[in-house]
Amino acid sequence: MNPLHKWIGDFVHPPKEARLDLGRRAVLAAGLAGLGAKLLFGIDPQASKRSFNPALIRPPGALPEEEFLARCIRCGECMKVCPTNAIHPASLEGGVEGIWTPILNMSVGYCDYECNLCSQVCPTHAIRQVDVPEKKKIKIGLAYIDKNRCLPWAYSKTCIVCEEHCPTPKKAIWFEEVEVLNIQGEKLMIKQPRVDPDLCIGCGICETKCPVKGQAAVRVTSVGETRNPENQILLSPGSFGEG
Amino acid sequence: MAKKKKTSWIVWLRRLTQTGFFLLFCYLFLQTVYHPINKAGRGVTFFFNLDPLVALNSLLASHALVGAMLLSLVTLAVTFICGRWFCGWVCPFGTLHNFFTSLRGGRAKQKLEVGGYNQWQKAKYYGLVGFLVAALVGVNVVGWLDPFSFFFRSLSTSIYPAINKGVVALFTWIYNANPGVGPARLTVVTEPIYGFLRKYFLAVEQPYYWGSMLIGVLFITTVVLNFFRARFWCRYVCPLGALLGVVGKNPLVRLKKNEEKCDSCRLCLVDCQGGATPDNPLEWKPSECFYCWNCESDCPAQAITFTSCIAEGRGRNRRDPSPRQVGAQNDTALRTEAGEKAR
Repeated sequence: MNPLHKWIGDFVHPPKEARLDLGRRAVLAAGLAGLGAKLLFGIDPQASKRSFNPALIRPPGALPEEEFLARCIRCGECMKVCPTNAIHPASLEGGVEGIWTPILNMSVGYCDYECNLCSQVCPTHAIRQVDVPEKKKIKIGLAYIDKNRCLPWAYSKTCIVCEEHCPTPKKAIWFEEVEVLNIQGEKLMIKQPRVDPDLCIGCGICETKCPVKGQAAVRVTSVGETRNPENQILLSPGSFGEG
Repeated sequence: MAKKKKTSWIVWLRRLTQTGFFLLFCYLFLQTVYHPINKAGRGVTFFFNLDPLVALNSLLASHALVGAMLLSLVTLAVTFICGRWFCGWVCPFGTLHNFFTSLRGGRAKQKLEVGGYNQWQKAKYYGLVGFLVAALVGVNVVGWLDPFSFFFRSLSTSIYPAINKGVVALFTWIYNANPGVGPARLTVVTEPIYGFLRKYFLAVEQPYYWGSMLIGVLFITTVVLNFFRARFWCRYVCPLGALLGVVGKNPLVRLKKNEEKCDSCRLCLVDCQGGATPDNPLEWKPSECFYCWNCESDCPAQAITFTSCIAEGRGRNRRDPSPRQVGAQNDTALRTEAGEKAR
C-alpha cells in the first residue's frame, strides 16, 4: 500500500499510538465543564447589563463588554506598552470571567490624551485599532468631584490642579467662582471645580495628579463610557449641554 | 547501561533555534514600549499570531478573526506533518521550561522513574476541550493558560517589573556605597553597565501592577515544577500543546527504532522531555513528543532515528499491524499473487 494513502487512512482508523484514548465520558465531562462555566459566568450581575462595576474602566477602543471578553486573551501586551502604567490586570472587577483582563487604575496612571498604543498592540483587536483623533473622542468613563475631599470645596483652599491638567480642547473641568467663608469666618472668593460630563472623556489625569492623597478628590468611574450605551448617567448622551 | 555518547548536532541545532526564538520573544517584549512618536514596536504580536489556539478560540467565541492570525495556519500545517515540533523548537515558554528541566539534578535512575508517560498528561486535553466548548458558547478564557498569554502576562506585570526594581536598587546601592581601593572605584565598571541597561533593558519608569503577586507566584510555580517532572507545564497543562498534540497525533515524521541494535538500556527515556516513551517504539506517543531529538542523541547504539514514514517506504515496521491491517495486507498479497498467476 502507498505510504501516503496509509498515512491519510490512519486519520480515519487511527493506529494504537495515534489514538489519544481520552475516554468518551471524561471528554464529555470536560465539555460540560465548559458549558457550566458559561452558565456560571452568565449569572454574574454585570452580565445583566443593569449592574456596572464603577472600577471596570476599559482602555479606549475596547469593544462592548460581551464582545471584549470574547476576544481578550489576557496577554498583558496593553499593560506592558502603556507608557503611564495606567492599565492593570483586573481582579474581580469584571467578574471571574474578567480575571486578568485590562482595566485602568487612575490612582497609578492616567490615559494619555495623545496615545493609542494599547490599541496598536492588542493581538486579537479586543481593543480595536483607533487612530489618535478618534481615540480622543472616546469616553472611557467620567470624572466626578468629591466635595468632601476637594480642597476648594471642603477647606476653602485654592487649588486648580485638575483643571490645569485636563487635556480636552475645551476643558472638561470648569470653575464656578463663589464667595465662601473660610475657617476663621472671613469672606473670600474661591474657584470651585466642576466637571462637564459632555466634555469629560474619563482619561483620569485629574485623579492621578490630584494632590489629595489616599483617595483622590476627583475620581473616574466607568459610567458614561462610549462603548456601553447602557452604562450612562442620563438617557441620551449630550443631554447635559441642552439643560 | 551503556556509556553516554556525544550530543548530536540536531540537538545543538534545536538549542540554537530555541535560543533564537526565545531571544526574539524577549526582544519583542522589550519593544512593547512607547517609541517616538506614539508608536509601539513593530511586530510585537508575532508570537500570538503564530498561536492557533488563540486564533481558534477567538474565532469560535467572537466569530471574527484578526487577519494576521492566519499565520497560525503555518504552525498547524507544520504540526500536521512534523507533530509537536513547535513545542520543542519554537515555543519560548517551552524553551524556558526546557532550560529549567536541564538544571534539575538527580541520577538517571531517578529520572527514569518519573520520566515516562503518565496518565495525567491527558489533563491538558480535557482542559483544551473545556476551553473550546466554552468558546463555542461565547466564553473565551483560554488566555488564562495559553502559553504565550501566560508568559507575556507574567513577564509584563510581575517578573520584569521585579527584575527592573532589583537591578536599579543594586546599581543605586553600588553608586552610593562606591567601594574601591584608593582611586580605583567600583563605579568605574558598574556605571557603564548601568548606562547600557538603562538604554536597552530597563523601563523608563518603574512599573507597578495591582495583583502582580498572584501572577508572579503562579509563574514561578510553573518554573519550579520542572524540578519534579521534565517540562511539567508542557506535559500536563499547556492547552496549546494539547491542540498541537491532537493535530499532530499522526505525523509523517516519526520515531523509528532499530530493534536489532537496541540493547534496551532505556537511556533514551532519561532525557525524554515529553514522556513520549521512546524506549518502546510500539508505544511511542507522537502527541507527547516534542521532537527534541534527545533520545536519538542519547542512544549509545544509535538505534533511534526520526524519519518521514513516506520516505521510509513500505519496508518499514513502525508498529504492530492490527488484525484489520494484517487482513488487508494478506488480501493484497493474495491479490498480487493471483494477478501474477493470471499474467
